[in-house]
Amino acid sequence: MQFLQNNSYRIYFIERFGIPEYVLNTYTFWERGRKVWAFSGELWDINGVEVFGIKALTKGRDLKPSTAFLRIVGKYAKKNVIFLDDNNALAFLRGRELNIDYPADGGYVVVRRKDDVLGCGFYVKKEKRLISLIPSKYRLQETWV
Amino acid sequence: MEEEKLKYFEKYREIIRDFDKFLKKLKTPQPYWFRVNTLKIQEEKLIERLETKGFRVEKFGGINAYRILEMPVKHPGATVEYSLGYYYIQDLSSMAPVLALDPQPGERILDMAAAPGSKSTMIAELMNNSGTIVANDISVDRIKSLAANIERLGITNIIVTKKDARNANFDGKFDKILLDAPCSGEGTFRKNPWGFQGADEKGHSILGRQQKMMLRNAVRHLSDGGIIVYSTCTYSPIENESVVKYGVENLNLKVLKIDLPIPHLEGVKEWDGEKYEMYEKCIRIYPHLVDTGGMFIAVLAKQ
Repeated sequence: MQFLQNNSYRIYFIERFGIPEYVLNTYTFWERGRKVWAFSGELWDINGVEVFGIKALTKGRDLKPSTAFLRIVGKYAKKNVIFLDDNNALAFLRGRELNIDYPADGGYVVVRRKDDVLGCGFYVKKEKRLISLIPSKYRLQETWV
Repeated sequence: MEEEKLKYFEKYREIIRDFDKFLKKLKTPQPYWFRVNTLKIQEEKLIERLETKGFRVEKFGGINAYRILEMPVKHPGATVEYSLGYYYIQDLSSMAPVLALDPQPGERILDMAAAPGSKSTMIAELMNNSGTIVANDISVDRIKSLAANIERLGITNIIVTKKDARNANFDGKFDKILLDAPCSGEGTFRKNPWGFQGADEKGHSILGRQQKMMLRNAVRHLSDGGIIVYSTCTYSPIENESVVKYGVENLNLKVLKIDLPIPHLEGVKEWDGEKYEMYEKCIRIYPHLVDTGGMFIAVLAKQ
């Protein structure tokens, strides 16, 4: 399956998170199946590509941003960002759900702890719940510091 | 068990300077080294955070490389900072081929045998995520670990391909090519002495033939004025100087002398009746020099 360039996905990050356009212009966006990839390199016409830059979005009923890409551009987000204290940040990184009342829209959010962008969360505003969407491969073990 | 395994290295007594020191070092476990991922965090900030958690580390020279002296966890990757991609566990010797490659922002670089990605991600860091890296590996499982490391470190200028480096077409020419070739891995002995297998004469010879094929393919993809860094983590001259000699005599390559900010020795002059005229320009890193693994490096250009 080929990667097809579609830079209109920049708009998602601008509208949902208020990330400045100049930041997103660093990347070209490429679709393959349900995944959208962000790439900051020069274009290269090459066969047999397995990975093209970094996974930025998954297409479904809604667009779902990836933790990996939010960890790069999330520091520029001006809205729908939830800051956690140290204890909640550790719980979030362990994949736990948090009860939290925060002035953010419901839906996908950038989750931070001070300067750290922890990744992607899903905020259920009515129930004041923050669901951790940290992929299992990044989740902290109990013994980690 | 260890003494028995160490006998394997006796075949290199005549070519490794201070051989007894080398053997003594092989008996000690290799310390962990890491590279700060400056794409994500300032070096000073990371070190302060790790030290607050009980790590004791030592910086090496002017590079963003640190040796871990003490740590509060069993594995150096068991931290929040590791999970966030702020550092990469990478032996200092494994950083050397990338320093020899000297990647610059905007260049086109091919890493022919890239997984699990320590060198590709370091190249991307030095290029500040600009230009293009084609990181290739033949194994699906190894590509998965490469992709995971690319994601964790926040690398965005890498294209990953799954091709056979011996004969694949990479669709274009590159400014610089890293051929960190699959090898017998003698230089990794200290990391895992229990699992170490090494190779016999026939094994070195088979690997040497494959490495020559990869070098031939690398030359096919090199831009005029470009360079190839050939490296392995093994000591066998059959997999090192002999491959470089093949490149000089059959592929119209020359060996460039470079400065490397990591202590090293020159290459081997002669092995098993074969003479290596370019040995002074080859680089060998041994465990008894700065407490690392072993590495061979040669920088090659078209004549």
